[in-house]
Amino acid sequence: MSIIAIVALAIIVMLAGGFYVGRSRAISAVSGATARLHSLPNFHGYYVAIWTGLPAFILLAAYGMFGSGLVDRLTAMELRRDAAALTASFETALEADTETLALAETLAVLRDRADGVAEAMADLRSASGSDRDPARLEALQSEQTDLVNQLATAEDARLGRRAELRDGVSDEAAEAGASVRALAGFELAHAPRERRQLFLSDARRIATDGLASRASPELDAAAAVMRRHADQIRNLVAGIAIAIAFGGLIRTRGQVAAAFRARNHVESLVTAMLFLSSVIAIMTTIGIVFSLLFESLRFFSTVPLTEFLFGLQWSPQIALRADQVGQSGAFGAVPLFAGTAMITVIAMIVAVPIGLLSAIYLSEYAGPRFRLTAKPVLEILAGVPTVVYGFFALLTVGPAIRGFFAMIGIDDVVTQSALSAGLVMGVMIIPFISSLSDDVINSVPQSLRDGSYAMGATKSETIGRVIIPAALPGIVGAILLAVSRAVGETMIVVMAAGQGANLTANPLESVTTITVQIVMLLTGDQEFDSPKTLSAFALGLVLFVITLVMNVIALRVVQRYREKYD
Amino acid sequence: MTDTPDISPIRTAVSKNLGARYRAELRFRAAGLAAVAAAVGILVILLSSIVSGGLPAFTVNELELTVDLDEELVDPSGERSEDSLRRGSYSRVLQNAIRTEFPEVTGRRELRNLFSLYTALNATRLMDEVLEDPGLIGTQHRFTMPLADDLDLYLKGLLVEERSFQPQGTLSLEPSDAGVVVRSTATDFRDLAAEIARTLRARATLLETEADRLTERAQELSGTEAEDMLYDADLNRRQAADIRARLEIDAGPIELDNSLPSILVESEGRTVRLASLARNGAGGTGEYLLGGDSVEAENAWSIQVIDTPVERRRVSDQLIVWTRALEERGAISSTFNTYLFANADSREPELAGVKGALYGSILTMIITIIISVPIGVFTALYLEEYAPKNRFTALIEVNINNLAAVPSIVFGLLGLAVFINAFGLPRSAPLVGGLVLSLMTLPTVIIATRAALKAVPQSIRQAALAVGASRTQTVFHHVLPLAAPGILTGAIIGLAQAMGETAPLLMIGMVAFIADAPTLGLEGFTEPATVMPVQIFLWSDGAERAFEARTAAAILVLLALMIGFNALAIYLRRRFERRW
Repeated sequence: MSIIAIVALAIIVMLAGGFYVGRSRAISAVSGATARLHSLPNFHGYYVAIWTGLPAFILLAAYGMFGSGLVDRLTAMELRRDAAALTASFETALEADTETLALAETLAVLRDRADGVAEAMADLRSASGSDRDPARLEALQSEQTDLVNQLATAEDARLGRRAELRDGVSDEAAEAGASVRALAGFELAHAPRERRQLFLSDARRIATDGLASRASPELDAAAAVMRRHADQIRNLVAGIAIAIAFGGLIRTRGQVAAAFRARNHVESLVTAMLFLSSVIAIMTTIGIVFSLLFESLRFFSTVPLTEFLFGLQWSPQIALRADQVGQSGAFGAVPLFAGTAMITVIAMIVAVPIGLLSAIYLSEYAGPRFRLTAKPVLEILAGVPTVVYGFFALLTVGPAIRGFFAMIGIDDVVTQSALSAGLVMGVMIIPFISSLSDDVINSVPQSLRDGSYAMGATKSETIGRVIIPAALPGIVGAILLAVSRAVGETMIVVMAAGQGANLTANPLESVTTITVQIVMLLTGDQEFDSPKTLSAFALGLVLFVITLVMNVIALRVVQRYREKYD
Repeated sequence: MTDTPDISPIRTAVSKNLGARYRAELRFRAAGLAAVAAAVGILVILLSSIVSGGLPAFTVNELELTVDLDEELVDPSGERSEDSLRRGSYSRVLQNAIRTEFPEVTGRRELRNLFSLYTALNATRLMDEVLEDPGLIGTQHRFTMPLADDLDLYLKGLLVEERSFQPQGTLSLEPSDAGVVVRSTATDFRDLAAEIARTLRARATLLETEADRLTERAQELSGTEAEDMLYDADLNRRQAADIRARLEIDAGPIELDNSLPSILVESEGRTVRLASLARNGAGGTGEYLLGGDSVEAENAWSIQVIDTPVERRRVSDQLIVWTRALEERGAISSTFNTYLFANADSREPELAGVKGALYGSILTMIITIIISVPIGVFTALYLEEYAPKNRFTALIEVNINNLAAVPSIVFGLLGLAVFINAFGLPRSAPLVGGLVLSLMTLPTVIIATRAALKAVPQSIRQAALAVGASRTQTVFHHVLPLAAPGILTGAIIGLAQAMGETAPLLMIGMVAFIADAPTLGLEGFTEPATVMPVQIFLWSDGAERAFEARTAAAILVLLALMIGFNALAIYLRRRFERRW
């Protein structure tokens, strides 16, 4: 890092120098009579400075982003080459191993049977009338579950056998005195993904003199290779960066002349930079859509879309370890949708009346002094981090609800319930609704109010019969936006709603939501290929689509309404 | 005057309803005021519950011991090298120190109990002190450490209910084979005995009613379920009968067990816990928890009752007695909790602090500022000042509005899929956290900047263009400086929002338990770290009760930071705001 830091400093110095050179050269080109220059001397300076610094800094930024990944890849490649002999012997051992072959055969047979069962089920489902036999379907379903579990067991056995062979080969090689580099390469080529990553990160820590979680000669060898590659790449990048900066300085310095249109160049560069910045917002959306779509499609290749959207059971624990084989995952997201909907409804029952009434009171009744103190208080409510609301729900509201229901004789209320999460989320949304409706109510023209008063209506009648109807589209838009915020809210529900995927209409039970499940699925150990992890992205996609649709509708409604009175 | 229409029927019709209409008006107005009051009231409850929960965590009870840094224990090879000092047995040093305070404790189990007055992690702290100053070896060193979390809570009065009595009579303690016999010349224990008898009777009655209920239910059912119920009912009745038998007049003294309040008799460095209470209230038998010699006709004594029974609390009577003894000897003092700010996370609540999370937040916010502010301002400048009105510009605008309403967790998924899996950036690092948060705050910054740019009057631009400035010169020399206060305010509010954000950071693995604070430097950006809100989330899940107060305290720190940020924004707005 230190070399790179020095290079960065050097480039900054060159950049400043470039500015000075460009400026003074421009002045001397017209021997001091700057009025004869096309552009001001400073623009010549900027021009030279930009071409000196910008490309070099882009290179350095790219190195910072991708440098360590590149080093890892190069190291792995080099070490794997060393392990070529070991790999070959491992492969021959694998091919010659009767147990592996037998297992592979079993797997193939099981897969065929599973395909057959799936086909039969599909046929049965699409069949009509008397052919539609629920008992048979159930039998097929249980057979399918059974097959899935058998497949998982067989696959585990195959992987286990493979690991056994691998360890055998590597032990043998170690005894026969193979080089540690070859052993390290073998580890990098054939160990499971997590072990490879751990190996690389430990090697990186050793290479940078950090604290590794363990030490071994293989790691030291890998660290040595890694250090060499890291040094090479770093030196290369440093050299190229300096060269580019210097080249840019020399080239643009030569361009400086009285008639040179430095300002136009600089300004078009600035405009391009501004434009590129505004493209980032679009890139973000594209990134969101593509990453969600890509992973979701992988998920839907194993779990059918209809099962995901209409299945009634959610238990994503697909057999991760051998002792979990009994459970096969169920990815029916309806309980999550129901939980999300229930919490959202409770939140709206709290937030809409309080938010709307306080907006009306503040804009129609309250004096300026009261308004000036009450509005910031509502804004504070909006600024409290959601994790604080979650803690409040968990520690104060949950037990209070439990105590209340115990008092009226209902004993089995849990602290983490849909009700407590919904109530607190409602509180969080109050300022959202009140400030949006406040805007809408304020933009209702005064003439409508005056007309109503002239007819002898009281204030509340004016509000109920004139202002609210006039502001209704805007209020509906505000509520839609609030709903979309409630659907996407995470921390309150993670902390206060519990995790049981219950399909229930009782708000006193614990429920789970889309966001909670995303958090549960993606925190802790994750394997990127299991449907369990991928299902989080499918849920994310659903969440994104729901909120997007609501936002688009809400923004449309609000905008159309605003245009009507402006 | 004569041709005025007669409006009296209308007037009567109106005035007939007028009272009702005015009352409706009042009701509506009251409802509005109630709504505002509800919102304000909830905020008050929220803040006060967090403040009252968090304040105890800002003080800590520290145990100060004289430790004998014996050379043989601390420096096994005697060469004063770091290696040798690191191999020293510092936990033994601490154990010796606490044993000199209570020399009468000998049994293995009792000793282990004694050592749970503090957590074993303090040995590492002692080692660090010695490593820093090897001159301490061989000396008597005053070492302070926080008391175990539950005992700390006990001293703060948050763990148990307790009360003490000043007795009338004089006390005599007489050790015997079965423990120690406690006698008072007056009937000082009579009220307590009656109270415990009442408690036991109430318990028996409760068991009996439950038994009756079960029998009744069983009659409606049949099969094994009914049998189970009858069995339970029978069990309850037998337990109730046992209790009642214990209370019979001629059954002898009342036995005290773990489900009843503990009664401690204290006198001059001795403490006896009563195991049974004489029925006449003049004393009982018990065992020494502290000291062990007999006493005749002692006047200075007191009765301490811990109402929370042993089975419903996490600390034993013995630990409480030791703690009280240490407090009396002046070894325990309550001070401001520096551990909360000087330490990173820890498994032991008394040593856990927010430093790591605070550093993580700072590093993450640096990345967020570096990325979101320039890009946000540039985007706003492009859209407000440069962009031609075409479909692409409209697309960008719609896009930004939608992005502002995308749930934050989706940004976390983006970070996981793109920054970590596709780009291979390190997990749990402030770099990735900052990138994700900057994408999230970008719309806020853009929208605030556009509003600030819109507020700059057109005449400024026209004047600049009229004297021959180019568009870029107009924007950068005139419009941007005038809009800067507004931009700054918007940016600060956006960043404060980002600082409180948790969900997207959970996705990119910033939830790990990290015991070391990240370095405040370039390397820190790629080291695993956590941030304040995530730390709050992690602690709120903590099993130990002391984490509850820590969580509230961490929330207070976070809120203080956010209030600071927002106050800065308000100040800037007031200071530099210009109305055109």
